[in-house]
Amino acid sequence: MSEPLLSVENLKTQFFTEDGTVRAVDGISFDVYEGEIVGLVGESGAGKSVATSSLLRLVDSPGEIVGGEITFKGETIFGLEEGADGEPRPRDEMLSEEEMREQIRGREIAIIFQDPMESLNPVFTVGGQLREFIEINRDLSADEAKEEAIEMLREVGIPAPESRYDEYPHQFSGGMRQRVLIAMALACQPDLIIADEPTTALDVTVEGQILEMVTDLQEKYDTSFIWVTHDMSVVAEICDRVNVMYLGEIIEHSEVDDLFYDTKHPYTQALLDSMPRPDETVHELDPIKGVMPEAINPPSGCRFHSRCPDAREVCREVHPEARNLAADGEPKHSAACVKYDAFEVGYDESRPIETEATGGFSAGLTETEAEE
Amino acid sequence: MGLLRYTLWRLAQSIPVLIGIITITFFLANQIPGDPVEIMLGPTPAQEQVEAIQARYGLDRPAHERFLTYLSGVASGDLGHSIYYDRPVLEMILLRLPVTLYLTVSAFLFAIVTAIPLGVISAKRRNKPADHVSRIVSLIGVSTPSFWIGLMLIIIFAFYLGWFPARGLPLPWADPADIRGAETQLQVIRTSLHHLAMPMVALGTLQMAQITRIERSSMVESLQGEYVKLARAYGVSESKIVRKHAFQVAQLPVITIIGLGLSTALGGAVLTETVFEIQGMGRLIITAINNQDYELIMGTTFMFGVAFVVGVIVTDVAYAYIDPRVAYGDE
Repeated sequence: MSEPLLSVENLKTQFFTEDGTVRAVDGISFDVYEGEIVGLVGESGAGKSVATSSLLRLVDSPGEIVGGEITFKGETIFGLEEGADGEPRPRDEMLSEEEMREQIRGREIAIIFQDPMESLNPVFTVGGQLREFIEINRDLSADEAKEEAIEMLREVGIPAPESRYDEYPHQFSGGMRQRVLIAMALACQPDLIIADEPTTALDVTVEGQILEMVTDLQEKYDTSFIWVTHDMSVVAEICDRVNVMYLGEIIEHSEVDDLFYDTKHPYTQALLDSMPRPDETVHELDPIKGVMPEAINPPSGCRFHSRCPDAREVCREVHPEARNLAADGEPKHSAACVKYDAFEVGYDESRPIETEATGGFSAGLTETEAEE
Repeated sequence: MGLLRYTLWRLAQSIPVLIGIITITFFLANQIPGDPVEIMLGPTPAQEQVEAIQARYGLDRPAHERFLTYLSGVASGDLGHSIYYDRPVLEMILLRLPVTLYLTVSAFLFAIVTAIPLGVISAKRRNKPADHVSRIVSLIGVSTPSFWIGLMLIIIFAFYLGWFPARGLPLPWADPADIRGAETQLQVIRTSLHHLAMPMVALGTLQMAQITRIERSSMVESLQGEYVKLARAYGVSESKIVRKHAFQVAQLPVITIIGLGLSTALGGAVLTETVFEIQGMGRLIITAINNQDYELIMGTTFMFGVAFVVGVIVTDVAYAYIDPRVAYGDE
């Protein structure tokens, strides 16, 4: 395979709060190749949005990227080296804030935010906002940018774009606003678009239309996407490859079909089980037991063990790094679960423990907390 | 509905409010203990004198009758006759109102021009030294009465340093012949501005402090908005985000405070005019009250009411102009 467009290596983003350090993103690695849609899936609080803002170096204080490497088309978006005093410092080739703003944000990597109702500025016209971003990122004159903006509004299915250009966001429905946000991203002609749960706030029919439109436009412009979502059905519909996140870590990664038909990680399995499926009639859905622990104080060992139906003693002690479990020659399929032989930590001999998923009060969780 | 029709509609809506103001002022003024005739004629007037005066000003007639006469007078632009000055109330108001407006508007310009940059800088450098300084200044400003500031300014800059005059406020368009030491119109303007400086600061400080506080908190909120995140993600420069994207949204609460401040500033002008011996509306209303000059009390109070209503309308219209979501009331 050719060089990846975007390469993320062991990225760590932390929030320094009064209550302690929140490890929102804790060492994730993934690649995005040209022309593909990569999914980033997980529950709320898994660190998906923090991960995506880290890619643009737009993490708000008190958050900070503390480690790892982000490379985009050979440019270092983030990278540290050891300074003379032994402290890590940004590498020389790391893009400056100004270079990020002028060369990367919007121009090379655009983002579609999840809340179409709040993301547009209420006091400026929709067209004006679109035009401004096009002007900045495509070096067009105001008139050319306006033409382009109207063209883009038409492209994303806004009826009568010439007249709607001068309307304000409150005159647009939620679905229409999301189309405008998508138009913004596409209009800047970036190589990579980060879609941060763009359809979560919309109803299902609108979501369907938008997904269809995005896949069409993606083929037309051959843009790469990182599609952030918590919705497995969206993943199934549009993604080529998927990364599943849990508590700041990527715990499973595979091609989309493998994820559904050859699920490795118990968390992914639990996510899939909690979703209604047309091919299986069940009386009751099977939600994931318990709630995701706080990232400020993650469980020891495997972070999912407190909610895992397959948890054993060893899961509490060993923190698994994701490993490739696919057979030689098969596409990469990695998971971070010690129940696979590749981990060789003695899972089979270990005693099963009671967790929220196996019923009864989680003794494991309380002990975990006592240990820290 | 367009902005113009909206403005006219808001003006029309204010008519019942003004009638309400007139009614309340009229009956309240009539409840003030004491008798203007007694003040005019001294402690032991002859019965004939009292009756003659009462008949002359219509004070012998019942209150509701006088009210209707007054109301129809106001409708035709006649605010009655001042007993104390022996001149029409409207004439007195037209003489004094420009002075007060000159002072109030200047104080507001001073407040806005200083407060908005101060609030924006404060919000942008949140919890940094510049923010702390601006917050302490505005806290002191909010909690210090304007007359006290006026007195301090007089003591320091007029009495000790002698930089500014402590009394009076000539209008910049006054006739040079009326102003001592001025021969040309330019000199009149200079004298006027020289006199204006201290009362303007005294009256404007409270507004400045209030606007700074609102501007700061509103900008802080706006800078955390999703649309600011969006602008950042598309490479808009930080200074343009502050100047344009965050700023315009943040001005909505600021406009409300400025609009409401216009009416409190008129109240503050009463005290400021007293401290600096300025012959404006504030002095007029105090003279009217001290002398039981009913129609002058009503007339001046009515003018303050009008000013308040105008302030509210200006606020609403400015709001509708800036925020397209204000639907001009035709939903």
